[in-house]
Order: sequence, then C-alpha cells, then structure tokens
Amino acid sequence: MSIKQQIRQFILANYLFTEDEGKLSDPESLMGSGTVDSTGILELIMFLEEAFGIKIADEEMIPANLDSVLKVVSFVERKRAIR
Amino acid sequence: MALSRSLAENLLQSAARCPERCAIQDGLNGVTYARLLRQAAAIAERLKELGLRAGERVAFIQPNSCEFVAAYYGVLMAGGVAVLLNAVAKARDFSAWLGDCEPAFVFAEPGNGEVAAAMSMLARKPVVLQAGTAEWGAISLHPVGSDDPACILYTSGTTGRPKGIVLSHGNLLSNTAAIVEYLGLTGEDSAVAVLPFYYSYGSSVLHTHLQAGGRLILEKNMVYPHAVVETLAKQRATGFAGVPSTYALLLSRVKLHDYDLSSLRYVTQAGGAMSPALTQRLRHALPRTSIVIMYGQTEATARLTYLPPQRLDDKLGSVGIPVPGVKIETRNEHGEPAGVGEVGDIWACGPNVMLGYWRNDAATREVKRDGWLKTGDMGRLDAEGFLYIVGRRSDMIKAGAHRIHPQDIEEVIAEMPGVQETAVVGMEDEMLGQAIKAFVVAADPTGVTPMRVQAHCRERLASYKVPKSVEIVASLPRTASGKIRRAALTERTQRE
Repeated sequence: MSIKQQIRQFILANYLFTEDEGKLSDPESLMGSGTVDSTGILELIMFLEEAFGIKIADEEMIPANLDSVLKVVSFVERKRAIR
Repeated sequence: MALSRSLAENLLQSAARCPERCAIQDGLNGVTYARLLRQAAAIAERLKELGLRAGERVAFIQPNSCEFVAAYYGVLMAGGVAVLLNAVAKARDFSAWLGDCEPAFVFAEPGNGEVAAAMSMLARKPVVLQAGTAEWGAISLHPVGSDDPACILYTSGTTGRPKGIVLSHGNLLSNTAAIVEYLGLTGEDSAVAVLPFYYSYGSSVLHTHLQAGGRLILEKNMVYPHAVVETLAKQRATGFAGVPSTYALLLSRVKLHDYDLSSLRYVTQAGGAMSPALTQRLRHALPRTSIVIMYGQTEATARLTYLPPQRLDDKLGSVGIPVPGVKIETRNEHGEPAGVGEVGDIWACGPNVMLGYWRNDAATREVKRDGWLKTGDMGRLDAEGFLYIVGRRSDMIKAGAHRIHPQDIEEVIAEMPGVQETAVVGMEDEMLGQAIKAFVVAADPTGVTPMRVQAHCRERLASYKVPKSVEIVASLPRTASGKIRRAALTERTQRE
C-alpha cells in the first residue's frame, strides 16, 4: 500500500469513521474542515512515527507539514528520504 | 473617571483613555480601541435601524475574530441580549438553542451549512447578519440597569429543554472587575487568547482586557502548540489562559525553555481540576511566571475563586480564596455550614451569580436559593478559608475545554437503527482529562459496530462530542429500580 493510501485509510477510520473514500479530499485542510483537532493531531503524529519509522520533531508540528493529506504525504516522503 | 455601569461603558472608557492602542490582534489584522468602539457603534446603529428592541436576543455563531468582538459589544450598546453559541456545534444543537431563545438576529459566517439547516427547522426565523468592519454612526449607549440581561450562554445541547444561563450587565461587570483586580491587569498587558469567547472562561479573558485597556492576541486553537508559544514570545505577551489539557499539551510538545518568555507575567488555569503534578511541571517550565489556579462556573459568570500565586506552594491542590465580592460556603447534607476540613456542597453568593436559566424557573430554583448558588461541586474549606474541590456530583464529562452532558450523546446514539440502549460516561484521558466512552446494547449486532456508531455521531454532533471509544455490550448495569448505574460503567473504564 502506498504512503498516501495508508495515511488516507488512517484518517478515514480514525477521524471520519468510514471506509468511504469519497469522504476525504486530498488537498482539503484537515483542521479547517474540522477533521482533526488538537488531540487528533497528536494521534496522527504517533501513527506517522510508527507506520513510517520516522521521528517527528516538535518544531515540525506545523500546518505546512500536516494540514492536508497531500502535505502529510510530501512531509513523510521528505523525512524518509533524509533518513 | 466615572464608575462604569456596563461592559459597553468599559469599552467607551478604554477608548477614551487609549484610543490608538491595539485592542484585538488577529494575525495581521488589528483593531485599535477607537476603531473597535466605532465598529461596535455601527453595529448598534444597524441593529436599531433593523428594529432591534432592548432585551431582544441576538445570537452569535462565530469563531473568535475582531468582527465578533465589535458585533458583541455593538449588541450590548444597543441594549440587546447577546447569545453566544458554540460555533462548532451541529444543526440539531443550533435549532434547539435558537428555538429556545428566539433571537431577532443571528450573526453567522456565510456558507455555514449547519446554520442554514438549523434555520430551516425553525418556526420563527431570525434575520441572519454578517459581522463587518463598518465604522459609522453616532456612539450612543442604550441605558441599562444592573439586573437587565446582557448575555445568554447555553450549557447543554438538545436533551429535554436546553439550559440557557442568563447573565446580567451587573454580573458581567462585577466579575470582570474582580478578575482585573486580582490579576493586576493594566493597559500594559497583552494576552494570547486560544479559548473561544462562547465559553465563559474565554469571554472573561476578552472582557477583562477590554476593561484594562490591554491587548488581546487571537490564536485559533491549540492544534499547533508551537505556533501559540511562538506568538507568546514574538508578541511579548504578558498573559495566557488555558485549561488543564492546554498545559498538558504545551508541556509535552513544546520545549518552553527554547523560547524567550521573559515577558510572560502570569498564566491562568481554570476549566477543571489540574493535577498538582502538572502544576509543578508548569511551575518548573516557567520559573519566572506566576501561575494562577482558578475555579468557577458559567452560572457564576466565570470566576468564583483564585489561588494567589504566592500561596501555590503551601496550598498546592487548592483552588484558592473567593474573588473580590464573592462568598463561598460548604454545607452538609442538612444544609448547615460544614466544619473546617469537612466535605460539603459548595455554595456561592455574590454579584456574579446568574439571573437564572432562560425561561426555566424550575431549573433556576433547583440551584439558586436566597441569592446563593448551589454549584453542584463538593469541596472543603481549610482554616484559612482556602477551598479544595473533592468531586463533582453531576455526570458532566470534562474533555479539554468542553463540558459535555452524556445525555446529549446518548440521545443521538439511541436514534441509530439497531440500537437498543446506550450509556455514555467519561473515561480517564492523559491529555484531555476525560474522553468520551459509549456503551451500546445492540438489538441487531450485525448492523451496529463501533465505527458506525462513531460515524452516526459525527454526522449529528460537534466533533468534540463524538465518542473516542465505543463498546458493544450485552446489557447495561442497573439499580434495583431499573436506573442505569453510570458509576459502575465509569469504574469499568478505569479498570481497563
């Protein structure tokens, strides 16, 4: 499964409680749409660290890295490239 | 300077004292006291032209913004009653609240589908307006009495009749002044505000700064804790207000000592008990900042007690002494004053005690007697009069800054096809204090899965009310008389 598919699956199951792929748009703001809140973001980070073997520093917890599926995917890819 | 008689007059006085000082800053947008007053006056004029009469309700469904503040104060200037609704709620909540308070006008953001859906359910439809930044009209204040209603805040959602807490101009003014006094707020103060104004705690942060002539810097929320701390440092903020989960989040995700927080004079904490261990960690992380532990409730406008920071060490675990003008008593089961150290019901009396619940005398009589407010909390007073909270009687769940009535969620789950019955309780959560757990008995176990229950709730409830955990069970524990034993379910979550 691709990085994007894994991330989408996690968000669908844990924040939107559905398997319906149509409920999640890749460029949409996760915070703006009310999908992820302040505790949700911590769960997302724990998932990314475990699933992709990366370590996310506190200062990397910014909207530019985490606020949409596309941003999360590109952030994870960058992190994996510099491992 | 003449004594102020209302929050609107507070704004007028601050604008006269420091017209060019920044009152509210929202990202790159900022508004000075002079402009904020002119914007509020424009809203007041517009509402009066549209036919608003004194005492009529004007509801707000808005996240924090400069425009929200101007419109809120504009309603108060016009003699209206501002109803501050939780902006992230869903249509079913909005329609219940709006149906209850029957506002003439609603300020809402354009394109909010939940608001549109709620409007379609209402028999008497209010006029929907958008808060703007116009600055015209004469500055005039509708004369108000201390006991005239100024504001309504709803504590619960849809179960039975919603409960709207009615606060008077006198309530808001006295509690605001008391907080300004014990925090020593002045025009030099500037606080970063993350709490929404539709909660009494967030509202009190707003009113106190506008009275003091200070500056309020808006941060949307705590999703990115770094951004909040960066703002605190960059803006040289002197104050910050949070609930226990705000501080748990900051301490776990941000290296506070990496930032220059030397200007941070104080931080306040309210909104549920913060563990002494977390308080100590906060104290070590911010050694030069005063930590002010506080206690209150919306029925008491916001604040009932505060712990003077210099007593934090020797009174660790206490919520402190009554704020100026307030009296606190603990009473035993016979209604008599409890002795020193003896646990009893906490009662409060003072100019901050609400007028009552909106159009609900029976509910008001249950908690308000002879001017005293029964808080519903249990506590003890020590020999010096410091209050220690030992428990809450009600089943209310406190998750982060939110207060959640289990019945609101149970009602929604019960509507789901295939559900026989359900009970919702709070379970311990490291970050939030409490998180929501639902126990569900399914008549048809194939159609009712935890994820489907969560999805059903997400469609109908604000996201903070969606259960974090759902367990399908064969039956619910009951008392001999058939009532669900909620305590047994709570104990069960603690054992897990």
